[in-house]
Amino acid sequence: MDVFTLAIWVGTAVFLAVSFFRDRGKTKQALKAALGMGKGMMGSILSIIFLIGLVLTVLPPGRIAEFVGGQSPLWGTVAAAALGTITLVPAFIAFPLVGTLVHAGVGIVPSVAFLTTLTMVGIVTFPLERREFGLKFTAVRNALSFAFAIGIAFIMGVII
Amino acid sequence: MRALKILKQNLFAALVAAAYIALFIVRADMGAASLKNSAYYIKEMLMIMPVVFILTALLDLWVPKDRIIKYLGKGAKAKGIVFSLVLGSISAGPVYAAFPLCVMLHKKGASIRNIVVILSAWAVIKVPMLLNEVKFLGFQFMAIRWVLTVAAIIAFSWITAMIVKDGDLPKEGREQIGPSINKEACIGCSLCAQSYPELFEMKNRKATLREIGGAPDPDKFGKAVASCPVKAISGGEEGAERREEIGAAM
Repeated sequence: MDVFTLAIWVGTAVFLAVSFFRDRGKTKQALKAALGMGKGMMGSILSIIFLIGLVLTVLPPGRIAEFVGGQSPLWGTVAAAALGTITLVPAFIAFPLVGTLVHAGVGIVPSVAFLTTLTMVGIVTFPLERREFGLKFTAVRNALSFAFAIGIAFIMGVII
Repeated sequence: MRALKILKQNLFAALVAAAYIALFIVRADMGAASLKNSAYYIKEMLMIMPVVFILTALLDLWVPKDRIIKYLGKGAKAKGIVFSLVLGSISAGPVYAAFPLCVMLHKKGASIRNIVVILSAWAVIKVPMLLNEVKFLGFQFMAIRWVLTVAAIIAFSWITAMIVKDGDLPKEGREQIGPSINKEACIGCSLCAQSYPELFEMKNRKATLREIGGAPDPDKFGKAVASCPVKAISGGEEGAERREEIGAAM
């Protein structure tokens, strides 16, 4: 567990203790609500996680890197961004991978596009986001994030 | 018929299960590898989700609406964006961990724009990620990407707020007299039916209203509204209070 996750746990534990001290009944109700939230979302989250596991096996990040490296810069970037949307890779895999991409000469632009859509746009998490925020919000947010991810990538290519 | 209904409600899960079965038949080794990959993500999820749920419920309980409106509402302007960026940046875990928190904040008056800022910051520029980025790609790379990403977030959150209105999100307070349940939002936890069984009952894993003569008991109804983890119940005075707030905010 990294420091930040640990900090959130400790902070919440303190918060919970203070809350319990101030109002026992309301705190119990809050915990019940938390449990309800968990029950409501857990099914969807588990389905999504199993789907991510499957996608990562069929389409390993290393293979994606190889594929993107073999394309022209423009298509490579669009492909990298598109592939980034379907996978959801934790930071500790994503950064070393992008690091390798950049050092192997794939180019900054596709690498950054991949990095940004990887975490910000989620085809896999789309059903969950849609249920929580509605179709319009989810579609607009993901589409804009995708477009801006490519924009960020190209500007970075110019600067670096 | 019943089995069909259950399948329909869990269509996504059923599709994933079917994909696994197919993969195991074609390539058993890949199926096993997929399960192993998933195990890692389940661990990652369990490390953060329970605490996010508890934190969301506690914040919902103790942070008053006017505070949220002041710092994250439409009128918060630049202060709201800075606040949202900070909130998203000091987070941990995958972006879907931010969903319940953002839904709660929006319910309590945070603007669409600030919700988008929180979600995006949570996804790409949270501090633990930036530290990792420095390690593998260097400080300069991280700093430039950070500046560009923050600029992009400020821009596209504004566009999103132009296109998406508060009413487009589920479980918004409806202009309606009497109690109502947002069926889309209801997660079937049955807490309302437990706290006010005369008014609420569960049908097909969703809460429904019973016919009762006259207005519901305000005490019991208020309790049921408060107990709903997704704020799917609205009606009567809740609605009136909301309209006043919107009026005051303008």
